[in-house]
Amino acid sequence: MDALGDPTRRAILERLLNGPVAVGELARDFPVSRPAISQHLKILKNAHLVLDTPAGTRRLYQVDPAGIDTLRRYFDRFWTEALTAFKKAAEQRGSDRE
Amino acid sequence: MTTVDSVSVTPVRKSVTVKVPAEKAFDVFTNGFDTWWPRSHHIGKSPMKRAVVEGRVGGRCYTEQVDGTDCDWGSVLDWEPPKRVLIAWQITPDWQYEPDPAKASEVEITFTPQPDGSTRVDLEHRHFERHGAGAAAMKAGVDSAGGWGSLLELYAEAAQR
Repeated sequence: MDALGDPTRRAILERLLNGPVAVGELARDFPVSRPAISQHLKILKNAHLVLDTPAGTRRLYQVDPAGIDTLRRYFDRFWTEALTAFKKAAEQRGSDRE
Repeated sequence: MTTVDSVSVTPVRKSVTVKVPAEKAFDVFTNGFDTWWPRSHHIGKSPMKRAVVEGRVGGRCYTEQVDGTDCDWGSVLDWEPPKRVLIAWQITPDWQYEPDPAKASEVEITFTPQPDGSTRVDLEHRHFERHGAGAAAMKAGVDSAGGWGSLLELYAEAAQR
């Protein structure tokens, strides 16, 4: 599945980063039809990239924060490893000069 | 961590104390970047030959690959030897270069001398949400396609823990 291969879908997802948006608002702001917007949102939802919640009679779509959280967890592990390597290099080079 | 109005993510914060003065710690981190950067972490297709951080505001951060190509991965936003450096982390979650620093996360590293002559090095990697659509794409890729290359496999392993 290539949920983000489509540039309009990417743009919709980027828009959702600024906060939840109702479908009608998206349809107004993007140069595609409302059924097309709904279709894009359905694909993004199936890919677990967005989620929707009811708000009165509307549905609000927002980015699924789990995706970004996963990125953070990766960097948490990565920087532990990287800084361990840095410390080793800094202390080795320090002692080389003495 | 997440709010109703916008997606925000707690920064990654790490700290390590090195038994060298701040000037040395700063120098090894930046000018000596190539001496410690984990060699598996680069975005070029061929293996990494050398990693470079150009020591000035606006300096490039890039790797030279064995096949002769350069791969940019960031830029220096602030350069304050020997105390502080701020770098834009311009790699998208699907391991491409992101030319727009506004869509990049930031890594801030500070070097604080300790009374015993050692240096406390603090690192903060923040604004992951700027990677935005790509962050979610990376998760989707890991969840659905499986195995695009060794870097994403590494990510997938780490993310499962």
